[in-house]
Amino acid sequence: MVVDIIDIGSGNIRSIQNWIERVHIATRVVTKATDIKSDFLILPGVGSAGSYMERLKKSAFDQAIHEHVQNNKRLLGICLGFQLMAESSEENGGIEGLSLLKGQVKRLDKKISHNGWENFNFKKEELSNQSFHSMCKLTRKKRLNGRVFFNHEYGYLNQDEQSFSKPISEKYPNHSSMVVKDKIIGMQFHPEKSQFTGLELISMIL
Amino acid sequence: MRTGATILLKDGRCYQSYQWSQIRPLGSLQNIINSLEEYQCDEVAIIRLVRKDDCREALNIDLRLLQQVNTMTPLSFGGGIRVSDDLDLLTALPIERLIFSTAFINKNTDLLNQATQSYGRQAIQCLLPVKYSQGRIEIFNCQKNTFLAIDDVDFDYINTHANEVVLLDTQNEGLHDKFDKEIIKGIPLDENKLIISGGISHNIIRWAKEVNLASALIDNKVLHQEHSIMSYKHA
Repeated sequence: MVVDIIDIGSGNIRSIQNWIERVHIATRVVTKATDIKSDFLILPGVGSAGSYMERLKKSAFDQAIHEHVQNNKRLLGICLGFQLMAESSEENGGIEGLSLLKGQVKRLDKKISHNGWENFNFKKEELSNQSFHSMCKLTRKKRLNGRVFFNHEYGYLNQDEQSFSKPISEKYPNHSSMVVKDKIIGMQFHPEKSQFTGLELISMIL
Repeated sequence: MRTGATILLKDGRCYQSYQWSQIRPLGSLQNIINSLEEYQCDEVAIIRLVRKDDCREALNIDLRLLQQVNTMTPLSFGGGIRVSDDLDLLTALPIERLIFSTAFINKNTDLLNQATQSYGRQAIQCLLPVKYSQGRIEIFNCQKNTFLAIDDVDFDYINTHANEVVLLDTQNEGLHDKFDKEIIKGIPLDENKLIISGGISHNIIRWAKEVNLASALIDNKVLHQEHSIMSYKHA
């Protein structure tokens, strides 16, 4: 198995590679939309939403991501990558997202950003209604109790009752920390910087 | 509140620093980060020791070292990022947040805006090396190697462009239980966006939690005894 990671010149690609390779899965950094080949694609995200979306469109990655999903392959969006899978984001005065997930991205609070660690508890069986569930074969681990690292000012508000959505915390009950819909998974936190919990999580979803 | 560590970097080597004047070599960056990660350090700030004699070659040496770091602990990095071209060198690094100091003092809006475009506003931190003496707060200008009066610093500008602000107590750096709380009283920014470093102890962390600071970064103490980060976290 090889995991493709989209690289449009933003940061933290190296961290994503390190994270995946720690569970002995090979990675390939993809800089051209036509080079996506893997069944598992990662859309990382660092930067401001408007600029990132513009670069995705300019390099035709937006179409390539849609084709990847239409071909019934798995997609993981991280942080801004997750937010851009929504229908829209109010960042940068409002932008249109990839509309892969039915939800909106809104500012958490005018004065507050969410930088820090939150408890994260997750049972694999919670995904049983999503086709993603049957494709996770790297480990038999069924339960995860740990903590994950957040660094964001905007958050995803899920509007799809059919999807699996986990809230960030009691303080942010309406914003999702993780969403799974069919073969798409989105994480608002940084699993690649969530230490032991991040490692356990990747082994549960690959 | 987060509890992390500060690591100083110069010419590809890590150092510990005492009161902003003396430095001692510390060891391999990867080894230090590994040890801190083992004890679940919340974050690590890697700060280049920069004075006015900094140059692009020295920055490149540190960047090459940082590029090889393999970690799952959140990293912030800064020191000597002065022009837009420097930002292009950072994209391959395993870091989430960027630390700027001179750019905030000199109001280099182009650089800060470009960093915000590339990394997001949540990733922009301001470092203010601070000195509190005889009732006055002064801020160190790394590029000019001199302290400025607090009135010469535009905190509205900092508040607009920085997601968080690291206040490094230069007089108490490397000492235990010495961070000067008067610094917080004199800095006109919301406590919840302030990070403190220099002279941190269990007592200081308990106080920092009470006043709702964003984070405390421990220096030499935790770099000698990495396991102690656990007790600091639960102070």
